[in-house]
Amino acid sequence: MSESKINIREQLAEVLGLRVDHLQGQASLSDLVQESFMLVELVIQMQEAFGVSLTQKDLQDMKTVDDLTMVIANKLEALEYADG
Amino acid sequence: MALSENERWLLSFYRVSEISGAQFFGRMARVTKNEDIIVDMTKHFADESAHAWYWTQCIQQLGGKPMLLKNTYQEQYFQISGIPANIMEILAITQIFERRVLDQYNEHSRLPGIQPLIRETLSRIMKDEAWHLQWIKEALRAMGPEYGTQTIKDTLDRYTEIDNRVYKTTMDEFGDRLVAQGSVNSFEESAHV
Repeated sequence: MSESKINIREQLAEVLGLRVDHLQGQASLSDLVQESFMLVELVIQMQEAFGVSLTQKDLQDMKTVDDLTMVIANKLEALEYADG
Repeated sequence: MALSENERWLLSFYRVSEISGAQFFGRMARVTKNEDIIVDMTKHFADESAHAWYWTQCIQQLGGKPMLLKNTYQEQYFQISGIPANIMEILAITQIFERRVLDQYNEHSRLPGIQPLIRETLSRIMKDEAWHLQWIKEALRAMGPEYGTQTIKDTLDRYTEIDNRVYKTTMDEFGDRLVAQGSVNSFEESAHV
């Protein structure tokens, strides 16, 4: 797993108040965070932690921990590419 | 004058919506690092909390107790639209929601025979609501370069359509309580943005 993906998982675990090794990649985000306001808070915290901005399309693709990790990692990669 | 059951329901509905708004903005104010909006967002959170207290006091002073109501207006938004994806979308959905609230409060305050304390509470809250619309409008304008002016407009349009659907659902479910007080006109009249 790339360093950025490890960082994303660590941040996600921190936001959720879980140990990172307890965070299952296939765990559903809606199971981990059942209350909609908390889910919004999680999404904003992850964006602000990594300086990326998500879209509705991104959210539609984010069903699991692995999905979220992948979406943010791809955003970071795109940012790095744009910065040269 | 004592509260009727419909009045008690409506004021409790307002109260729960304000509590929900406070909880939502409290969460956002706690986590956002956006220095351009953090102060106004915190004030917005504080206002919503105060409004919930004003409604609680109003119900109490009119001899009633708040009703416990579930499934708030805000939750219905998310059930239809999914959650907002970013800070811009959060402000956009709030702008549409606040406009709906202001319209409803304004309409309610014009009712003939409204109890003075209810009118006074509505008036007190509407001053804050007008400011909420203003700061969010300015914040959205400032986000133009980052998100794109057209994207922001499209987002507002999308949430306007969702608001109309949520309002219709609310009216289908609770319209009789509102109409009983004469506190709502037709859906089409209220749904302007």
